[in-house]
Amino acid sequence: MPPKISRPWLVALAIVAIALPLIPYRFEVSAYVVQMFMQAVTYAIAVLGLVVVLGYTGQINLAQAAFFGLGAYGVALGTVTGGWSFWLSLAAGAAVATGAGLALGLTTIRLGGHYLAMITISFQQILDLVLVNWIEVTRGPDGVAGIPRPSLAGFELADDRAYLVFCAAVLYVVVFAVWWLPHTRLGRAMRSVRENELAAEVVGVHTLRTKVVAFSLSALLGAIGGGLYAGGFAYISPDNFNFARSVEFLTAVLLGGAQSPFGGVIGTLLIVQMPEWLKHLPESLRFIKDVYLAVYGIGVILIMVFLPEGIWGLIKAARARLARPADTTDTSGVAPLDFDVPGAAGGPVLRVKALSKHFGGLKAVDGIDIEVARGSVHALIGPNGSGKTTSLNVVSGIYRPTAGQVMLGEEDVSLLRPHQRAGRGMGRTFQNIRLFSTLSALENVMVGAQRDRNPIGRGNRALRARAMSALAFVGLADRAHVIVRNLPYGHQRLVEIARVLAGHPRLLLLDEPAAGLNQTEKMEFVDLLRRLRGHGLTIFLIDHDMGLVEKVSDRITVLNFGRKIAEGSPQEVLRNPDVIAAYLGTAGKVN
Amino acid sequence: MRFVSLTAVAALAILTAAPAVAQDTIKIGIVVEATGPNAEAGVFTLNGAKLALEEINAAGGVLGKRLELKPEDNQSTNPGTVLAFSKLFGEKGIVSIIGPIRSTQIQAASPTIAKAGIPTMIGGTDPSLTKVNNRWVFRGRPNDSYSSRVIADFGVNTLKKRKWAIVHSTDAFGSGGMNALTASLKALGITPVLVQGYTNNSQDFTPVVLAVKKSGADIIGTYMTNSPDVGIFAKQLRQLGVSADWVGSPSLVSVTAMELAGPALNGVHSVADFTPDASAESKAYTAKYKAAYKLDPDVYSSWAYDAMRILARAIGDAKSTEPEAIRKGIVGIQGWKGVEGTYSFDDKGDGLRGYNVVRIDNGKVGFIKHIDFKD
Amino acid sequence: MPRDPLPSFGTPRAPDSDPERKPSVEALTNNLQVIFQGLALGSIYALVALGFVLIIRATNVVNFAQGDFAMLGGYAMVLFFSALGWPYALALVAALVVMAIFGVLFNYGVYYPLRHRSFLPVLISTLGASIFLQNTVLAVFGPQPRPLEKTLPVDGINVGGVFLDSQYLVILAVTLLLVLGTYLFFEKTLLGKKLQATSQDKDMARLLGIPVALMISITFIYSAVLGGIAGVLVGPILFVSIGMGSIIALKAFAATIIGGFGDVTGAIVGGLLLGVIESLAAYHISVPYKDAYAFLALFLFLLVRPQGIFGEKVSEKA
Repeated sequence: MPPKISRPWLVALAIVAIALPLIPYRFEVSAYVVQMFMQAVTYAIAVLGLVVVLGYTGQINLAQAAFFGLGAYGVALGTVTGGWSFWLSLAAGAAVATGAGLALGLTTIRLGGHYLAMITISFQQILDLVLVNWIEVTRGPDGVAGIPRPSLAGFELADDRAYLVFCAAVLYVVVFAVWWLPHTRLGRAMRSVRENELAAEVVGVHTLRTKVVAFSLSALLGAIGGGLYAGGFAYISPDNFNFARSVEFLTAVLLGGAQSPFGGVIGTLLIVQMPEWLKHLPESLRFIKDVYLAVYGIGVILIMVFLPEGIWGLIKAARARLARPADTTDTSGVAPLDFDVPGAAGGPVLRVKALSKHFGGLKAVDGIDIEVARGSVHALIGPNGSGKTTSLNVVSGIYRPTAGQVMLGEEDVSLLRPHQRAGRGMGRTFQNIRLFSTLSALENVMVGAQRDRNPIGRGNRALRARAMSALAFVGLADRAHVIVRNLPYGHQRLVEIARVLAGHPRLLLLDEPAAGLNQTEKMEFVDLLRRLRGHGLTIFLIDHDMGLVEKVSDRITVLNFGRKIAEGSPQEVLRNPDVIAAYLGTAGKVN
Repeated sequence: MRFVSLTAVAALAILTAAPAVAQDTIKIGIVVEATGPNAEAGVFTLNGAKLALEEINAAGGVLGKRLELKPEDNQSTNPGTVLAFSKLFGEKGIVSIIGPIRSTQIQAASPTIAKAGIPTMIGGTDPSLTKVNNRWVFRGRPNDSYSSRVIADFGVNTLKKRKWAIVHSTDAFGSGGMNALTASLKALGITPVLVQGYTNNSQDFTPVVLAVKKSGADIIGTYMTNSPDVGIFAKQLRQLGVSADWVGSPSLVSVTAMELAGPALNGVHSVADFTPDASAESKAYTAKYKAAYKLDPDVYSSWAYDAMRILARAIGDAKSTEPEAIRKGIVGIQGWKGVEGTYSFDDKGDGLRGYNVVRIDNGKVGFIKHIDFKD
Repeated sequence: MPRDPLPSFGTPRAPDSDPERKPSVEALTNNLQVIFQGLALGSIYALVALGFVLIIRATNVVNFAQGDFAMLGGYAMVLFFSALGWPYALALVAALVVMAIFGVLFNYGVYYPLRHRSFLPVLISTLGASIFLQNTVLAVFGPQPRPLEKTLPVDGINVGGVFLDSQYLVILAVTLLLVLGTYLFFEKTLLGKKLQATSQDKDMARLLGIPVALMISITFIYSAVLGGIAGVLVGPILFVSIGMGSIIALKAFAATIIGGFGDVTGAIVGGLLLGVIESLAAYHISVPYKDAYAFLALFLFLLVRPQGIFGEKVSEKA
């Protein structure tokens, strides 16, 4: 849910927001101040793009000035060279920028982190060179002059004040949209990618598409800001859209707080206004103006160390401390979890045929065949390094098999991405809990419910209902709004299970689900597994605790050195001398 | 080591700590790059303007009032320039402004200047700046259509070389210069055998030099913006054995360029709008500047010195501080001898139509001749 | 201060077009010249990339301020040699001592407080460090670029029409020595092995009694000194200026990726390769777009073979 804002605050906010841009009409405000705010507002729109791609989705983008420039040049060249209307030119610039953003987003299919930083920098530098050197089209370093103001409903925005009101209106719309975004399906997907991309992918989020959309949105906002900037200042040249400007945008969003549109606006105001304010310092402090740029650099480091969520993060933390304790969650009216697993009849849910996974010369998995019967609990055990987790990773799609097949029901899913498998009812948990740490338990579980083709309604209401049901099933409905990193370990495990249950799985892959649980918690966990099986789910799990495995499994497969060495009921397998030898190293009796 | 920017700030601080007699002064604004990578040039510009201001005030001021300088920092960016101009125009009592030297910054501020309708002296040499239909912009230096004609004239008619290579930076200054030089050569019936651009801060000019060699040019004309580029280019030119003549734009004779290039610039010609020993006026100015600041002056200060005196003269002639009157006063200045040359303003705002030709030898700039055009 | 022109060995080739010279010979000479320049500049990229990679291996930090290490080294030399007039060798040692101290400061100021965080805050922090360094130097030394005297008192030698600038020769020689030296240091000394261990697995190294924090400090020191040497070597050619490090750093970073991220050999090969590609492309295709070629090459590698020439594909452990 978007954070609740009380009615009086909303009204106050609305009044201030409407009044601010109208001040120059009522009071004598110099053209200088109006222009300064024009610059700040248009820059802020671009910075909000960074909030989306960096703050929400966690992807680094050092090319925001390039997108800003594409929008600006779209407007400039369209109106001045092409004679088009301002709006058409803006749309053209935005379209080109969005296309570029899309392309950059697609590069994340292979790369993230440093590589992505480099790709965005390269794009920025290449665009800069093109703007300067492709004189026939861009007019080169001379820039483009004489950019006209747009007309809105027949009314030309020639007056700076009117244009500022218009830009402010656009900014408000963007701020609202960006503020709303985190609580939509897409927004949750973005945040999950930021928190833990691998888990997001496995849980059913189309991570590549999410990142591409994030980049495209960032580019779009950058271009809109740039187009409005061009219309405002009437003259643009390449030197305003270079790498230094991208770094400036980045610092603005970090300073203000990348995770909130308000942070983005605050950061922009500070970065744009700072040099102007410094001019008004008394003489004794004037030297600060020179060292200000050096201090700015240190400031960035200090922000990263002490204020990772920027100024807005500070404000939020202060508000949280002053706020009332969180409303207790109303857990009445939560429907019981609907499992809706097709009946016990039918063939094996999971079949692994002649599966191999080699890493260079290392044969982690070397030709195994497993069948997991519908509605059963099937365990995969073996000494360390036997290939259990690798097998599970191939089954869930994190690795591509070197040879062999993975069949889910009747469908060959060997080459499908993890989120596609989640979309077909394959759920998986991780050995090291992979939750989205800054999201609440409810939001975590809602992401699980968002997987493709989940047979529930679309829309947030259905997602919430499903998520609450899942949480209720694991007994955590009353902790729904707690941020998961504040939950004790055992509860986090349960949230992970709820997350995967929310996706209506028919197959559950559990990787050492009982790791880190104490004896009591393990007993509870065994109960949980039995309940799940009772609802018709098929479970395929890895664990080291033989006692637990014995209690809970219908069938066990044993691996050693990537090969299957035994398979059967727990009684048969755990007394098998080969199995004992594999664990203990010598043949011998077991008590 | 110099605390350059501190000096700029100190200068700004002193200048803005206006004396208590502030009410009865004529305020002249000045937009400079006081912070950012070009701050040193900003200091020089302030120095030149201040020197002129003090001289004028010592001689009784203008219309019985003292002149006062109001500096504004543009942070070396285009939007910063627009804001600086806006700020100055918003202040009461600013009758004229001395603007920046960078063409793109002036372009950015041009609409603001046109709207405000206040006479502005600029130092940019891009010819289009005065053709933009802005009656309030006046140029305190000769524009690049003249530098190119002087380069062409000197190279063709004095050095008698007809196979030209043009080497230019791809930025606004370099491209504009290249276009102007190509046109000037065409007027003399010459098509260059090579036109080679490069991006500022190229670290290696080997491909450029090789291209020059290959073209068989016997004279090179250059519009190069940055001193390190001049330095590297000059050195590699010599290392690769090119002995063609070279006539370049004024960036060749900047103190830094000569320091970096060293002996590689020996025998190289340049055009310059400011040369210390070009005329009696420039000699006098050089002496005054040295006495006041213990530094050699260059074009960054000289043009501002002239600009300030032009404004003072115009206001004095017009006997008014109204914008239209000052404008008339400036346009009325004909045949006035400044440090940069003899000013005769036309209605478009250009006052100078010629350049000095100088020759560099062992780090010294030697005046050769002055070439002027009538149109 | 004008000096006497430095002597060159071998007369410069007959100027401009010598009708005696066959076009094919001229083309070959020109290409060799261009390749030589490319190798020399590539060596600078390689040196900076080497310092880069060492830090990546030890701390997994991508250091955006690496180029500014070169800038600092150059300015330190300007201070000690040009301004204070110390003899070249002494000035060089002093400059490197300054760089070493700086390496320690950088470690504790920029890396250490963020050592447990993810890569993004650290990367941004190094960006901040870069801004800080450049502007501090700007405030102290002013914006005008400074010349620096060449290491050898000779301008260069002319071999068959190709002019070999002495400074470029020094760069190539020193890079070779440093690469060899680094290899020997890391592979053949105990300290080097400890540093390697720290890069590969900090926790294990700690358990074995290796003082990890000290090892990391040493890595930063070494990397800073390498950067400083690069700056001292390239200063006479490119002149010492505030921004000299930035473009070198970007290209060095590109070189690291092309060569194989985190691979030492890859950094060197990538640097040299990038220098040569750039130089040839500028000569044969278009000069103004020179910087673009490096980034285009990088783009291509990232799309086609992101692990670079020598890198290995690394999968994330689930």
